[in-house]
Amino acid sequence: MVIHFTCNGKPVTVDVDGDMRVLDVLRDVLDLTGTKEGCGEGECGACTIILNGKTVNSCLLYAGKLQGAVVETIEGLSGDSAGLHPIQESFLEEGAVQCGFCTPGMVLSTKALLDRHPDPSIKEIETALSGNFCRCTGYGKIMKAVVSSAEKLRDSREDGHQSGTGLGVKRG
Amino acid sequence: MAEHTIIGKSVRKVDGIELVTGKAKFTADMKFPGMLYGYELRAGVPAGIIESIDASEALKEPGVHMVLTAKDLLGPNLIGVLPPFDQPVLPDREIRYAGESIALVVADTREGAKRACRNIKAVITPIEPILTMEQALAEDARKIHPQGNVTFSRTLTKGNVEQGFAEADVVIEGSYTTTFQDHCYIEPEIACAVPSGDNRITLYVSCQSPFHIRGHVAANLNVPASKVKVVQAYTGGSFGGKDDAAVEIGILAGTAALKLGRPVTIAHEREESIAGTNVRHAAEIAYKTGARKDGTITARQVKVLLDGGAYASESPFVTMKAMIHASGPYAIDHIEVESTSVYTNKTYAGAFRGFGVPQVTFASESEIDELAKHLGIDPLELRRKNGLKAGDKTATSQVYDQSVGYLQTLDAVEPSLRETGTKENDGRYLYGTGIASVIQGISNGAEGVDVVGASVQMSQDASVLVGCGLAEMGQGSRTVFSQIAAEVLGIPVDWVTVRQVDTDAVHDSGPTVASRSTTVGGMAVKQAAETVRQSLVKMASLMFKTDESMIVLKEGFAVLTVDDTARIPLRDVATAAYWTGFPLMHLAFSQAEPADFDHDTHQGRVYIAYNFGTHLMHVKVDRYTGEVEVLKHVASHDVGKVVNPMAASGQVEGASLIGFALGHMEKVEYKDGIIQNPTFADYAFPSIRDRIPTETIFVEDPTPHGPYGAKGIGEPPVAAAAAAFANAVSQAVGHRFTHIPITREDIAAVLQEEV
Ligand code: FES
Ligand code: FES
Repeated sequence: MVIHFTCNGKPVTVDVDGDMRVLDVLRDVLDLTGTKEGCGEGECGACTIILNGKTVNSCLLYAGKLQGAVVETIEGLSGDSAGLHPIQESFLEEGAVQCGFCTPGMVLSTKALLDRHPDPSIKEIETALSGNFCRCTGYGKIMKAVVSSAEKLRDSREDGHQSGTGLGVKRG
Repeated sequence: MAEHTIIGKSVRKVDGIELVTGKAKFTADMKFPGMLYGYELRAGVPAGIIESIDASEALKEPGVHMVLTAKDLLGPNLIGVLPPFDQPVLPDREIRYAGESIALVVADTREGAKRACRNIKAVITPIEPILTMEQALAEDARKIHPQGNVTFSRTLTKGNVEQGFAEADVVIEGSYTTTFQDHCYIEPEIACAVPSGDNRITLYVSCQSPFHIRGHVAANLNVPASKVKVVQAYTGGSFGGKDDAAVEIGILAGTAALKLGRPVTIAHEREESIAGTNVRHAAEIAYKTGARKDGTITARQVKVLLDGGAYASESPFVTMKAMIHASGPYAIDHIEVESTSVYTNKTYAGAFRGFGVPQVTFASESEIDELAKHLGIDPLELRRKNGLKAGDKTATSQVYDQSVGYLQTLDAVEPSLRETGTKENDGRYLYGTGIASVIQGISNGAEGVDVVGASVQMSQDASVLVGCGLAEMGQGSRTVFSQIAAEVLGIPVDWVTVRQVDTDAVHDSGPTVASRSTTVGGMAVKQAAETVRQSLVKMASLMFKTDESMIVLKEGFAVLTVDDTARIPLRDVATAAYWTGFPLMHLAFSQAEPADFDHDTHQGRVYIAYNFGTHLMHVKVDRYTGEVEVLKHVASHDVGKVVNPMAASGQVEGASLIGFALGHMEKVEYKDGIIQNPTFADYAFPSIRDRIPTETIFVEDPTPHGPYGAKGIGEPPVAAAAAAFANAVSQAVGHRFTHIPITREDIAAVLQEEV
């Protein structure tokens, strides 16, 4: 079936089986391989995308659901010359990335949360990220990265500009 | 010691940008024209004889290109870690575990291959499986392998335990058990084989030991190793698990790719990852410990049994490692440890972060707490009294005259112990604090030679390319190598690139195991960088027309020691060096001092260094539900020198959660030889809600064998966290738990009994 939707701000049209997984539409048809597959059963969150403002596991969703939808993937966040999104910046600053396989999903779950709640409580963060598994970090630094990106985003809203130091070295 | 500008700083992960943006290419992200997908058919019975496999129906399905069974393989159909190898890629006759692959289907799509698997008619005659170590070791037991059911067995003897027990005022005994744990990296195993026009084959693999894969793939494709190129793609975690499995699917994908002349990818599903590939050994461990009234431990006698499942894999080395570490970080004169791994008809066990040490540490540290209780001595004081110091003899009678920072790790957790230890139980909640210590050998040690090759190449623009045969799997070795090269050459970290491991381009550096990347790998990078540095300094001295001793390299410049403003950009120095013919590339080898020990008693030199650690856990237990909350977790480790505090504490936090989950949540559950929980829906994987508040305190007692004194930190927190959890909960509940995981249900059951 022919499906029209918006992906990372751009209109796209694909012609695929309606029962193709959205994960495969993104990865195999649109070559957006930043969205990962960790379990294929809706449990790990590696395949998280933002669909109409809400996070979903794209491994559980069928292409038919994309009709007219607005989709954000990790590729939409990175921007080009604009550099990293503050959430990505915070993940690096806080050491919240090890193997990085869970990272795109984590970053998107964080973004969807902060879009709704600029100042989330720890409990709200836990709820928002509880579907994103990470085996490497133990989550402590991910929690810190979410808190600090929330601060950054609030600051940038107040100042009307984006922060981000670009420095390679942080005080030990 | 000289001030370091980059060593010791929390430099950001050098390969972080491609990971946060999703641009990094993991194996599944690589596509090649004409690529096909393989899917493995698995036995489904824990033991049986394959009578026949008929693939004719499957082959008729559209999109199916090939079905491989044992008879189609090109080589010896044998893999393993230590010869004589015992594991077939695909068994031709006997099935030894339920998750074992017996055929590979290759089709246009993974779904197509999976579907076609259902149409393969495999006739299997089941045989009575051997599911426990007791059954396996029974005298009249069926032999799972021709040589019997003992995979490997060794004994360590130091002093004379009989004498040690005779000297003791108290002798206590305990038995402990642990369960299988799966690695659960978020990226399942995957390999992609691409035949190339030059009669070679390239494998892109998520793995941790690319050269091990190359050797096995070449042997089983029946081609010289030089015909095979293994490229380690970005790897989504490994923790010891992507060695055997990567070999297996590497060979299968390679065989299909060679036969079909097309690229073939095999990507495991989660269920295959859990049920089909290696896990952490389950263990049964018996301890006997003797001590004098003043707390001096006079003897320890230990029997370790490890359930290694169907194949040897790393069992021999895990058996050795458990043996060497069973007596803990203590100076004890009389030790005897018998360590044995056993075959059963279950998924094979192999390497998993900690490598036999978590199992024995849980048992040993539980026993030390019991001893403290018996003697009426504070658990920390008992450990302090017996703790290893520089100059003491380890279990193998090795003596280190430096970098034995164990006692400092006890000092580091002591304030937290005093602060939390007095917390009173209140109504519904029980509080407990436990400590546990770990000793973990760094380097391959008894497991074989330990050589790493690393190359450092500076371009005329002074940017640097580092190549090393050890794999980045998320643990941050690229960042550490970049820091070391940058420190030596006086350049910013972002001028350094550490290439992916490609067996064509770097030297065989052995497996990325045993917390050896920073220590042995880092040493090689440092040596290679130092040789390049000599060329730069020599060139700069010619340019400044002064003595070499007057030159320092820093901030990307050659600078005069006597005048900080006299600077030449290093790119000018490097360019001049190039045109003068001074070499700007060097390949260095770092070899860890080889092990040298008696093979009967295991007395002698084993590891180049040990990491020492002590963890404290303070828990709150809900009397009604058994639910546990970790209120405090302090993890102190002697790492020699912290190269990157942020990365090192990340290692401690990640390893600690795996240890905590081993102690509290995770188990691979079997029924009749079939794994019951091979999915994330059923396997108790810790989520962000289960995280623990790890606070890391590093002790720095440098080793001469690591760069800047550094020792590895990847593994040891697993053991200490699991054991500290067990001690904390046992204290809170007032009951010694002798089995991990100690789940909420286990705790609730004990509390129920008491009511
Ligand atoms: S891959 Fe979709 S939730 Fe795991
Ligand atoms: S960083 Fe490896 S799974 Fe999260």
